[in-house]
Amino acid sequence: MPITILPPKAFREPPRNLHHDSDDVMSDASSDSEDSDSQPGGVSLDSGETIHPRKRRSAATTSGSTFTKRPKTANITSSISVPRSAIVTPGERITTDPQWMRGHGTYLSSATLGEQAITSSLAGIVTRTNKLLSVRPLRARYTPEVGDLVVGRIVEVQAKRWRVDVGSTQLAALPLSAINLPGGILRKRTETDELQIRTFFAEGDLVVAEVQQLFQDGGAVLHTRSLKYGKLRNGVFMAVSGTGGGSGVVRSRRQVWTLESANNGGPIDVILGVNGYVWISKHVDPVIPEEAKNQQTGITNLEEVVSATMYSSQNDRIEPETMREIARIRGVVTALVENGLRVDEDMVTKGYNEAVEMALVSEGGPEDVYLGGERGEQLAAALTGRLA
Amino acid sequence: MASSQHVLLSPAELAYLHASLSLTPPIRPDGRSPTQFRPLVAETGILPGTNGSARICFADGTEAIVGVKAEVERTRTRHDFPSLDEGAEGDDDDLEDNQHDVVKGDNDWVEMTVEIPGYRDDDAGTVFLSAMLSEALLADGEFTKRLWINRRFHWKLYLDILLISPPLSYPLPLLSLTTHLALLATRLPRLKSEGDEDPLFDDDWAAAAYLYPRPAAKKGSKKTTSFATPTARPPVTLLVMAVGNNIIFDPSKEELAVADVALAVSVGESSNPSSSTAMDIETEETKGHHNLRILSVRTIDPPSRLTPPGIPNASNSAYGANAAGAKDTEKKKQQQEQARTAESEAVEGVWKAPRGGAKPLVLAALVQKVLEKGGVADEVLDALDGVDLN
Repeated sequence: MPITILPPKAFREPPRNLHHDSDDVMSDASSDSEDSDSQPGGVSLDSGETIHPRKRRSAATTSGSTFTKRPKTANITSSISVPRSAIVTPGERITTDPQWMRGHGTYLSSATLGEQAITSSLAGIVTRTNKLLSVRPLRARYTPEVGDLVVGRIVEVQAKRWRVDVGSTQLAALPLSAINLPGGILRKRTETDELQIRTFFAEGDLVVAEVQQLFQDGGAVLHTRSLKYGKLRNGVFMAVSGTGGGSGVVRSRRQVWTLESANNGGPIDVILGVNGYVWISKHVDPVIPEEAKNQQTGITNLEEVVSATMYSSQNDRIEPETMREIARIRGVVTALVENGLRVDEDMVTKGYNEAVEMALVSEGGPEDVYLGGERGEQLAAALTGRLA
Repeated sequence: MASSQHVLLSPAELAYLHASLSLTPPIRPDGRSPTQFRPLVAETGILPGTNGSARICFADGTEAIVGVKAEVERTRTRHDFPSLDEGAEGDDDDLEDNQHDVVKGDNDWVEMTVEIPGYRDDDAGTVFLSAMLSEALLADGEFTKRLWINRRFHWKLYLDILLISPPLSYPLPLLSLTTHLALLATRLPRLKSEGDEDPLFDDDWAAAAYLYPRPAAKKGSKKTTSFATPTARPPVTLLVMAVGNNIIFDPSKEELAVADVALAVSVGESSNPSSSTAMDIETEETKGHHNLRILSVRTIDPPSRLTPPGIPNASNSAYGANAAGAKDTEKKKQQQEQARTAESEAVEGVWKAPRGGAKPLVLAALVQKVLEKGGVADEVLDALDGVDLN
């Protein structure tokens, strides 16, 4: 069957906020009184969840907080009725009560009669930590932090640096002085290097790098001064950035590892950039050229040799079996993201093993690597069942 | 013609993608089989203010909605066809004949706008998309005939096609499928007046007739309807691409970036009942197939031609021994030789943008693959049949 057409899914409730469950000063007080203004006026995005008595967070007069009412737009009425986790939109007032402190994703606006109102600056879910109100975005761009391992794509070449897309609000900078020169030579960067800057990285090239430094405005400066970092080849790229709410790539102990794949696929490297850019490639042991072998190969020498192959954009020979397993791992990561699960070493490894088993029983046999649609959901269900 | 948006991929990625898609069978990055479409979510009747609407959403979040609005418009009398007015006043035989002939449409009766976020209305890509979609619709001249009310009035149809997510892949198949569904769901008020008088319509929306009349039997008995009464349907435009000798349907953005050829093939169902029944009898065992015919074929300029080539290690000055500074001139000369051959010939693992036109054999195979009985277009139309119209 080349095409599967599914009926529309019911609206998925955004991840529940933990703080709400412990503390319901604002949400529960007005459970029955506020039904009148939230009558459905049109299309409902919700399925069964809305039938509950409305626990709206508006005008909780008993507790003293005055949450402002929403406009009666059809679409919004359904989303706020999700119990205890309301979605707010930018510019929407959360409260005017001075007892609350404003946190991330909010600002103070004094639009009405000198009254200070905490207003959302994002589309997200209101979270409360004691008296601190913040809005967790539904989707957010990557915020760089020093030491993060990121995968980025060169989008611009300037005289002394590259501009790298890392899925952040700004392009990151990779200065010419922050890369290893081929052959591991240590010297000052000269005009000659500046002139042949494109021989190191050109537009479109993918790099794995580390965040070295942050600017005041959140822009990042990267470096590739390690043998682990540099240009990427022999594999596929995928971006799973911008997924909020606990899914997507999370910071973890290991972002880079080598997976021993099934079906004669050989070892496969997986790089999960903290920024949500993922690189899956064939694992290649550093090749030592003949000339270098003749010379004595010390540890320092090895470093030279390895870094000499760093700027190659020629792929090695990759067996079809390896390509198939790479596609399978990519499918696993997609399935994880589409089903709102986190992407880390543990989940990817488990998901991959599960996928290999699933393929064995599928009609396509072990060579069937398709993990979209229903199979992805199956995979996610198997994983969450196992982890729970 | 106008290409899709430029994708920035590294030469190593392109080389990998091209290599994996050239295998037999090809390995697509998302693991689909060559003829498999991305799973999608479809629904109709989402916009209450329209005559017909549909929404389709891919799993990656690409989403399109289409709304169809109809409006009664006075037909301009044509002066270059005097027979239209004068001939009708002649003897009765002519009138009878004219009644048949006169049901004809005009391409102006359909207005199609495509909107893609981030692109201007008059952007070449957007204009091309809309031209391609309307061309498929108007190609056989059958569609506009459905808009004919009487000799003085007709329906004017406004098709608004909106992509409501950023274009993550070339949106043509998505927009085409959504338009198809919206047109299937389109209903026009029932006409109460007769002849050439000013049109008067039934207020009851429940009595409104589908623009594309549905077969009387509802689903469950799909097999009987498909060959007993061949119903005409709006066209679908499929995006097909070829890498080497592999033919790949519904390519994603990355796949399109290494395509040798990309074609947009518009397929409609032939509404000629006599020939279709004859063919149905012949191949009755292959049930559920449609009587397909090609409405239009357009080549899409794949972005692969604009990609920068990869640099083979032999000519890479930042690679290996070259970078370490090969001292003796003898060796350098040798390397330059190597580099020259590498530039002119294909090196394994190095990306090189396709040059030259498409091979006629590949083009023929592409079209063949679409039209095949029980092939992709057949199955796509069947799957679209299954969508609940409301």
